[in-house]
Amino acid sequence: MDLPVQDVLRPRSLREALRVLADHPGARPVAGGTDLVVQLRDGRRQAELLVDLSRVGLDGITETDRGIAIGAGTTMDVIATHRAVRTHFPALATAASQVGAWPIQCRATLGGNLANASPAADTAPALLVAGAAVTVASARGQSQLPLEELFVGPGRTSLRSNELIVSVLLPVSRTGAGRRLVERFVKVGPRREQIISVVCMAGRVVVAADGRLELVRLAFGSVAPTPVRARATERLLERRVLDDRLRQEALGVVQEDVKPIDDVRAPASYRRLAVATLLDRFLAEVARG
Amino acid sequence: MADPPARPVKGRRSKVEGGSARAADRGLHATPPGPLGGSHARPDASAKVAGLTRYVGDLALPGMLHAALATSRVASARIRSLDTRAALAVPDVVAVLTAADVPGQNSIGAVFGDQPLLVTDRVRMVGDRLALVAARTPEAAWIAARAVRADLEAIPGVHDPVAALDEGSPTVHDGGNLFRTLRVVKGKIDSRRSKATVIVEAEYHVGGQDHAYLEPQGCLAIPEGRDRLTIVASCQCPFYIQHAVAKVLGLPLAAVRVEQAPTGGGFGGKEDYPSEPAACAALLAWHTGRPVRLLFHRELDLQVTTKRHAMVVRHRWGADAKGKLQFAEVETFMDAGAYAGLSTVVAERANVSCIGPYAVPAVDVKTHVVYTNNLFGGAYRGFGAPQVTWAAEATIDKLARELGLDPLEMRRRNALDGMARTLCTGQKLVGPVLAREVLESATRMADWDAFRASRPQGSDRLRYGMGISLVLYGCNLHWGGQQLDRSSAVVILQPDGSVIVRVGLTDMGQGNLTAAQTIAAQALGVAPAAVQVWQPDTTTVGDSGPTVASRGSQMSGMAILDAVARLRTRLDPVAAELLGCAAEEVELGGGFATVRGQADRRVTVATVAAEMASRRLECIATGWYRTTPREFDSETGQGDPYEFYAMACHVARVAVDPELGLVTVEEVSAAHDVGRTIHRQALEGQIQGGIVQAMGWGVTEALHLRDGVLVNPNFTDYIIPTAADAPNINIAVLESDGPGGPYGAKGIGEPAFIPTAAAIRNAVCDALGLEIDTLPLTPPTVVAALGDRHPLAWVLEKSR
Ligand SMILES: Cc1cc2nc3c(=O)[nH]c(=O)nc-3n(C[C@H](O)[C@H](O)[C@H](O)COP(=O)(O)OP(=O)(O)OC[C@H]3O[C@@H](n4cnc5c(N)ncnc54)[C@H](O)[C@@H]3O)c2cc1C
Repeated sequence: MDLPVQDVLRPRSLREALRVLADHPGARPVAGGTDLVVQLRDGRRQAELLVDLSRVGLDGITETDRGIAIGAGTTMDVIATHRAVRTHFPALATAASQVGAWPIQCRATLGGNLANASPAADTAPALLVAGAAVTVASARGQSQLPLEELFVGPGRTSLRSNELIVSVLLPVSRTGAGRRLVERFVKVGPRREQIISVVCMAGRVVVAADGRLELVRLAFGSVAPTPVRARATERLLERRVLDDRLRQEALGVVQEDVKPIDDVRAPASYRRLAVATLLDRFLAEVARG
Repeated sequence: MADPPARPVKGRRSKVEGGSARAADRGLHATPPGPLGGSHARPDASAKVAGLTRYVGDLALPGMLHAALATSRVASARIRSLDTRAALAVPDVVAVLTAADVPGQNSIGAVFGDQPLLVTDRVRMVGDRLALVAARTPEAAWIAARAVRADLEAIPGVHDPVAALDEGSPTVHDGGNLFRTLRVVKGKIDSRRSKATVIVEAEYHVGGQDHAYLEPQGCLAIPEGRDRLTIVASCQCPFYIQHAVAKVLGLPLAAVRVEQAPTGGGFGGKEDYPSEPAACAALLAWHTGRPVRLLFHRELDLQVTTKRHAMVVRHRWGADAKGKLQFAEVETFMDAGAYAGLSTVVAERANVSCIGPYAVPAVDVKTHVVYTNNLFGGAYRGFGAPQVTWAAEATIDKLARELGLDPLEMRRRNALDGMARTLCTGQKLVGPVLAREVLESATRMADWDAFRASRPQGSDRLRYGMGISLVLYGCNLHWGGQQLDRSSAVVILQPDGSVIVRVGLTDMGQGNLTAAQTIAAQALGVAPAAVQVWQPDTTTVGDSGPTVASRGSQMSGMAILDAVARLRTRLDPVAAELLGCAAEEVELGGGFATVRGQADRRVTVATVAAEMASRRLECIATGWYRTTPREFDSETGQGDPYEFYAMACHVARVAVDPELGLVTVEEVSAAHDVGRTIHRQALEGQIQGGIVQAMGWGVTEALHLRDGVLVNPNFTDYIIPTAADAPNINIAVLESDGPGGPYGAKGIGEPAFIPTAAAIRNAVCDALGLEIDTLPLTPPTVVAALGDRHPLAWVLEKSR
């Protein structure tokens, strides 16, 4: 079946793309199309006009003194293999390498993954623990917001219809002498490839020389209406020395950070057990050093 | 009686040792020279790989219309009224038809008359057809289909085959929900019960499965003038379609020509079901006078087509202290869905399979075929056997555990063999009974004893397990379908020595073209490339029954051999004349006709063919085959349900992450009693494909039905395995001389599927030390089975 779309425009610059979006309220941007085409076909989303972003020049990864900026049009295969990303944000590299399978990774963009706002978007937890900020542009100008403020609900973002995600900034900070950084992304699903996360988790922890947890960021996917940071658990763990008792306590507290539902992929109870299991394993790894 | 010994043949990755030569010395007939048993290139492979094969979706004709179906989205309702005016008003729509437009019988059931092509008063399942649309574009057709207005009054449905038999349950059809009960009754249960020292009772919940063929359902109906028509369909059974369309249109069978299109997978899903879309397209073509193509999109295909039957299987089995089985009681509730379809036929196979290849003195089997408002069950690779095997092999393991016996030893003590050859139906097996041989071969490849002696200790989070499943498979059709068990072939020798072969059995990807080509080439002594096997067409061969029950190669092959024998009554005398010998001395092989025992006196088959042509001799021969008639009592289930049997054993090794409930199938070792290999690579392909498909059924593929609606009609959430999930596969092929088809070959398509999931289930339970009686073993199912034994179960208390 053909798509219920009347036209596709292919602007050659960001300015042109933003103008088209400003002029046509029924228009919708399309990047890799790996989410949107499926949703247009089954009627979950509508668009009179598609604005193809592939020639706008939103792809590419740049390292600046403020951090690593990943263009919204950068595809997962590029992110997964990028040296600086793998060094500083291994969770993101892992997440990108587990989106769908390789053919999908060659089309799926970071901007699309975020703007689609699935609670299961694999890069989201990894970016949340990286402390990512999103650069958003409209015909009127650019602004920046913390990634958490982008997600509003399942499939819903705070973006207006005339706005585009331009890039995502990952602040790079020095870990410092005697400190240890542990960052991981883990995805749970019943198939090795081509699987939407039943639960996924990213964790980023800096352990000080005296064993205390200096920085704790934990985020989960598919356990709430949006990808979420586990704030209560982070607060519990921060500045503490991780021992078995604290680890156990964290597994209880994290249950307050998540609000999973029953759906065809799993019942909520399964997701709660998986959240506890992933966190337990991550903290065990942190403790092992 | 001394059976000829079996010969293990080394698989590509097989670990089986054993000298084929030595076994052959002891009596196994050597494979004759020729392509038989080799691995020449499949005739259809290069076109498929290059994307040149033309499937139904690639066919278009001038003036062709596109069909769409208006189907019910609810499972149970009374139809107050139907309004097609809005649909007709959609631009580009040419016709909207309802039941009133059916010129023949509005009835489409494969065996019984309980299913209308188009419903009139009552909706019994999601997907029931309300109206048909033909339009100039597919988009217009589907928009119009959605515009058909049905005023439906919901009535309570029933969605559980056990609850459906309760007093007061809503009924799907007048006459109640119990459609049939099929029995197997052998020996005296009561007297055997006292001999049993352990008794296992269990209730197994075995889920259904979608076929997930690559190519969804599709067909093209072409009117040929006003009084006959051609159907080109993606299908397994062109003769079923021929009968169905003739009935719906009220035409003589000879006026309906069905050509099988190259078919992108079937697995049983294109046995019975394609008659429905074909009848729809035919009806639209008949009314509009124009070619009409109907292609299902994936969501529709998943939502409305037949599925593997879900079953609830109850067991009470007993064994004595030595582990010898004494009795087996089985009561199965088959979810037939809203229409009988092939359910009784599936139940027939389930009944013969539900005890496995074990000697059990007393057996009592009841299989209830139950109507519900769920999607209806149909044919699916294994045809009821996988479900009951899953239960039987679980019970065997449970008995072994109760007795403290190794599961391998338990099976050794009960397997049928040369001495104990009587099935639960009372049938005495003929020829070598290779249950023990496949059992030993598969467990040897899997290193069963070594695994159990020193179980791998991986990382702390994984547990490893190994499980066995041993099965027997009744080849060809059950006694109940005997009248269909015949086949037809046509062989035409061309003047250049090339050969056209037509058979009535189809290739849906499983390799029937390859098998037919191999057998024809072998019989005519020519190279496989000289033989062109064309897709079946009901006007070129006689009704050969369905391509199901792993009968394709056997039935094609036997008819081809008959045709070649008849052709040779004309070919051999010509060859003899050219060679200067007697006709009886002519042998064919390697592209030549030779004088027996004098290989240097030879002439090419092409020369003989040219000579036949120049003499205007009949160069075409037909062949026919029918299976041996058998006796069977359908009341007691006693008699000879199948002509002969094949044994198979799979051993699975799994790694389980218990906390996340994740099952990884690491290796499957498969030993198969195949009679004789026709094409080695095709044989291995069937085994590998069967294992991966059965792994999907056993582990990840869950049909989530809510009130009869499939809520996961997509491959995002209906989780079939990908290549990345395929386990390592060891294969042992055991050849033997016994009853079989061409050159002694037995079917492989279904035996390759039937054991796997049960072996996986037993391996998972072995790894975890607990019983899981629900299929599939999805992560939530495994975690739920752990219950309070999950080390983190306490977090659920906290979050309550
Ligand atoms: C087979 C398959 C497997 C998949 N597996 C996974 C998986 O494992 N994990 C996972 O997270 N996802 C998965 N996905 C979903 C999808 O591939 C990803 O979410 C992908 O990153 C989407 O990117 P895209 O470029 O294709 O987005 P598109 O489909 O082009 O767009 C998605 C949405 O984002 C909007 N959009 C795109 N770019 C911008 C922008 N720059 N600014 C504003 N809005 C924008 C579009 O309007 C649309 O609403 C899978 C999809 C498929 C088809």
